[in-house]
Parts: sequence; C-alpha cells; structure tokens
Amino acid sequence: MLRKIALCFVLFVLFSWFVHACFAVGQADANQMLAEAENALVSAYVSVAEANSVGANVSQLLVKLEDAGALLAEAQNSYRVGDYERAYLLALNCSNTVDNVVQEALTLKSETEEAQGQRLLFNAGVSSACLSVLFVLSLFGWRFLKKAYLKRVLEMKPEVGSEPK
Amino acid sequence: MSFDDFRLIYVLACLGLGLIILSPTLAMVIKLPGGEQFSEFWVLGPGHMAEDYPFNIAEDQAYKVYLGIANHMGGLQYYRVYVKFRNQTEPLPDSVNGTPSALDPVFEYCMFLRDGEVWEKEVSFSFDGIFFEGNSCRVSSLVLDDCILSVDKFALYDEEDSGFYCQLFFELWIYNASVSGFQFHNRFVWLWLNMTRPN
Repeated sequence: MLRKIALCFVLFVLFSWFVHACFAVGQADANQMLAEAENALVSAYVSVAEANSVGANVSQLLVKLEDAGALLAEAQNSYRVGDYERAYLLALNCSNTVDNVVQEALTLKSETEEAQGQRLLFNAGVSSACLSVLFVLSLFGWRFLKKAYLKRVLEMKPEVGSEPK
Repeated sequence: MSFDDFRLIYVLACLGLGLIILSPTLAMVIKLPGGEQFSEFWVLGPGHMAEDYPFNIAEDQAYKVYLGIANHMGGLQYYRVYVKFRNQTEPLPDSVNGTPSALDPVFEYCMFLRDGEVWEKEVSFSFDGIFFEGNSCRVSSLVLDDCILSVDKFALYDEEDSGFYCQLFFELWIYNASVSGFQFHNRFVWLWLNMTRPN
C-alpha cells in the first residue's frame, strides 16, 4: 500500500515537473505570435484608416484597435523582460481582438461610399434642376430688364418741340 | 451705364447665382488641400506644466511625468513610443538626419489617433538598484508603469556638471503604409536624471 502511494506521489511530482515543459511557450513561439499579432493589427489599422478617410464612423472599430494596440505593446514589453508565456497570450489576445475588424472596416467603407454616391447624385440632380430653372428665368428676366432699360433710355431722349406759328 | 455694361452685370450675376446653386455638389467633388501635416510630442512635469521635471533621482522613489501626442497629420495614425535609457556616452537620436537612437527600447506604448486627437499618459517611474563605486554609478533596473525593466547602465561622474547623469528619453515612431513599417517620426523628448547617493 505504502509502495503504491509512493509511486503515485513520484508520478505526480514527475507530471507536475514535465507538464510545464510540455506546454511551455518558448521564445520562438512568442516571437512568431507577436509577428502575427503585429500583422493582424497593421491590416486592421490600414482598413480602418481607409474607412476613416472616406468619412465612415469608425469609433467602434477604433476602440478595438486601441485595445489591441495596448495588448500588443504589453506583449512586446513582456517579451523584452523574458516573460514569453505572457507575451504569447497577450499577442494571441491582440489577434483575436482585431479578428473581424478588416471585414467590418471594408463593409463600413463600402456603405459610406455608397451613401456618399447617392448623396452626390441627389445633389447633382437638384443642382441641375435649379440651374435649368435659373437659365429659363434668366432669359425671361433678361427680356424684361432689356425692355425696361430701353424704355428708360427712350424716356431720356429729348423731345423735338413744335415750332411756334 | 451703357447697354453692354448692363448686359455684362446681368450675365455675371446669373453666373454667381449658378455657382451658389452648384456649391454643395462641388464641395463633395473638389478636395481642397489640407494644412501642414505634423505631430506634436511633449513631456510635462508632475504638475502638468513644463516645469519641476524629475532631476535628482533617489533609489526606490517614484517620479511622475506626463507624456503627450497630438495628431495633425490629416487622418488616422498609428503611433508607437519607444522608451530608451542611456548614459552620457551612448547615442541620442539625430534630429538633423532624422535617425533614431541605436539603443534598444526598454518599453513601448502604442496608440491610434484620429486627426486632431490628443493622447496623454501619466508615466510613473522609479529606479531599483542604484550602486555607487568610486566615480561610477550603476543603475540596474528601471520600474516603469509597475513593470520592472533591466537596464544595467553605468554612469561616470561628470566633473563639469557635478553628478552621475543618465537620460530617459521617448522616441515617437509612426506607421508608414507606403513602406509597410514603422518609421522614426523625428520627434523625441527626454529627461536628464542625476543619480544621487542615499544620505
């Protein structure tokens, strides 16, 4: 009985000892995960910046970017001090945070561009209609003003008086 | 007024009215050039003013400064601040050539700012393990925002300014999409620190 307990204890100690080694994150793993997180964050940033440049409301996406940026910075700082496991987990978290940001930014961008196109079309239509009305009115106005001008000029013309008999 | 003058005034008035009618559409199509593109980068003392910067440094004593960035680049920008620590013999960034310091960063911050936005952070730091031996001083670690960073720097006694001087400086980097990487933004701020012996 005692031998069995001792064996179990030894097995438990060995398991505790090696389990960490089996699942430990090495420098290379952490480095690779950091590079992946960096790429994911840059792609997300580029998409959000494009959406922002066409005037889309990117406030919610920006919150995700900021969270992911803070995680990546923390991961880099952990990596520098040699805490590769924490760096790995933070970098993984960073990648997960910006997982759908590219897609969302592209959707926002296309929606904004579509809305802007429609607004431009509407504005162009209204402007064209107003310009046509202005053109027609200006022709009538010109005729009226020309007549008024000529009448005024003719009234200014000196009249020839009749000679006294 | 002659008839030709009268006609000219009428045509100009009609053209002006036409431009006013077209202006909402033109504003959507024509993009006017923006102003100068730049970023502001500053460090302020503990009172949020450009004064009372930490200078005489004692071991295990906490110091506080405010680090800030303002984006005037005309769009969303991805910034990174690298924190570096040097002694008097190590290189600083070269603002003439726009090159960063060759030293490795000990810490970094990362932020995204829209045009006109400002980022400001309270940076607290202290030093752990300041050893003096003769005319040299060894600083073993810097504690920045509760993160212990091994710096291991030696500072020789400066006869001219009477002290053991080190410098904590912050470099601003910006993501450049055209080169697909971060570039030094040619902006850096620093704190001169005089390591003092315990009484």
